[in-house]
Amino acid sequence: MRKVILMVLAIMLVMSTAVFSGGQQENGVDKYALMMSHMTNSFTITLSNAVKAAAEDLGVELVVFDGGQDVSKQISQVESAINQGYAGILIEPASVDGIKPAVTAASKAGIPIVTINQKITNQELADAFVGVEHVEGGEIEMKYVVEAIGGKGKIAFLLGPLGSDGQIGRTTGYYNILEDYPDIEVVYEQSANWRTDEALKLAENWLQTGVELVAIVANNDGMAMGALKAVEDAKMLDKIKIFGVDATDDALAAVAEGRLSATVSQSTEAQALAAMDALVKLANGEDVPSEIIVGHTLITKENVADFQ
Amino acid sequence: MKKLNNIMNVQLMRELGIVIVFVVILAILMILSPNAFARPANLMNIFKQASINGILAMGMMFVIISGGIDLSVGSIVALTGVVAASFAHPGEYPLIVPIILALVIGLFIGWFNGVGIAYGNIPPFIVTLGTMTMIRGVALIVSKGAPVFGVTDAFENIAGAFLFDTIPLLVVYFIVITIVSAYILTKAVFGRRVYAIGGNEISAAFSGIKVEKIRIMVYMISGLFAGFAGLLLASRTVSGIPTAGQSYELDAIAAVIIGGVSMSGGSGRWYGTVIGALLIAVIGNGLDILNVSSHYQLVIKGAIIIVAVLLDVKSKERTA
Repeated sequence: MRKVILMVLAIMLVMSTAVFSGGQQENGVDKYALMMSHMTNSFTITLSNAVKAAAEDLGVELVVFDGGQDVSKQISQVESAINQGYAGILIEPASVDGIKPAVTAASKAGIPIVTINQKITNQELADAFVGVEHVEGGEIEMKYVVEAIGGKGKIAFLLGPLGSDGQIGRTTGYYNILEDYPDIEVVYEQSANWRTDEALKLAENWLQTGVELVAIVANNDGMAMGALKAVEDAKMLDKIKIFGVDATDDALAAVAEGRLSATVSQSTEAQALAAMDALVKLANGEDVPSEIIVGHTLITKENVADFQ
Repeated sequence: MKKLNNIMNVQLMRELGIVIVFVVILAILMILSPNAFARPANLMNIFKQASINGILAMGMMFVIISGGIDLSVGSIVALTGVVAASFAHPGEYPLIVPIILALVIGLFIGWFNGVGIAYGNIPPFIVTLGTMTMIRGVALIVSKGAPVFGVTDAFENIAGAFLFDTIPLLVVYFIVITIVSAYILTKAVFGRRVYAIGGNEISAAFSGIKVEKIRIMVYMISGLFAGFAGLLLASRTVSGIPTAGQSYELDAIAAVIIGGVSMSGGSGRWYGTVIGALLIAVIGNGLDILNVSSHYQLVIKGAIIIVAVLLDVKSKERTA
């Protein structure tokens, strides 16, 4: 029994040193935490890598946490980070409402907290937001669609999960532009939940209806690639143009090959750099604007080489 | 003789139930959308869209008839798809490598499930829930969380090519796997043993059937088919996506259940499963064409599962 107790104590001792050594200053370098909502698609992987690179450029240490699309897990991660004395927290929220307790806890503890890519409902609790305006992304995408199809014809929308930030914003952007083009008719508007396989099936089914589509406009590139496959299988790429958002590697390749008409970059690197910069400034007591908006970039065959 | 006739009738009734549901839904969709839904090209399209789920459902059918359940197939689809795509980049490995890898990985996970259930005595729901979660994690690890792109044209053709320029290969695979499965279930000794252990495990063991061995093989079939389905999905979407195949296990189970296979095991026919898989594809296709939101589609699909099983239960009550 005594042996067991000794062993437990020994383990606790080792663990507590590990925890306390994770304090604010390690070799004189400030330590920051990046809380990702999840790490299961191209966008989140690119974003977290870009933040890591930005932290390196600024000469600070960064630890990345994966929230696994679970807001309660993300709240626990933020709470642990507060106790471990991180200099600042950058958070890509798993839920725009549910993350409130974590943000409140950080601001109570006096730790700067910046949200990236998604605004939270109680944004005033955080010190700053860095990201893009999804509406602008949708407008840029749709402006190019209008140009590419000559301002008229039947089009279809592939939407993200209904109610998600990206879906609402980008789709609002689409309609903002379409107001001025009464000759463009939206005949289909359905969610494929960001997923390639769902978008593929949906586009295959649309093509069966005989409706003469001139464009399929997707809220993200994953769905655009599914639609592209369906249209290519039906040998209708000369009639139907496809558009996406995100600038994923395969979408960029498809743009370069002239198969995908365009994609819109969320300027992930610029978001990452601006966010990390703002967080370090806040931790050093400087002021930053409460909202830092990074612009989208349209990528077509003309400029795709700059992004690959 | 009269009793035998009676039993035959009831059996027929049960199988007719699902056929009637299928025909009624087809008729409704044809009336609502005569120019799009009923076109021959669309009927082939429905067949194609039913294929991947149909292949998973064939494997699931063996498992459910044996009295088990396999929740891991959706995750197997993701893992084998990611691995296959990773080994299908141009100029690296011959095409056979991703194919073999997908099948072997599926087979191995099925074996693992089977051993856990047969020798570990862990309920199938628990073992396959565990592997479902683990394998999803492994798929995310090997792909580093991001989709795997850049596969060869030959790899894309595995699912994308056509037989005689008209029949999608996906449909051909589905038909071949259905024929093989139907043969095993109805003609082979193995098939009868699957029914036997699902009907009554103890009496099956007394009659000399090696229950453990059959059980493991059943999960291996399901794993193998899931591995093949993963290969096909990766080929179809021209990428290995670690988050793909989510809830595919539920669609496969739904196809089997709609097709009249009893969840308690020991009964069910292969053609029921085929109709179940087709019905799910028909509903999805028909509602997409009618531009019904995917949220309503879920409600309708769920309702049909319940109605189909209700018909099954009611017809069974009449026998008792």
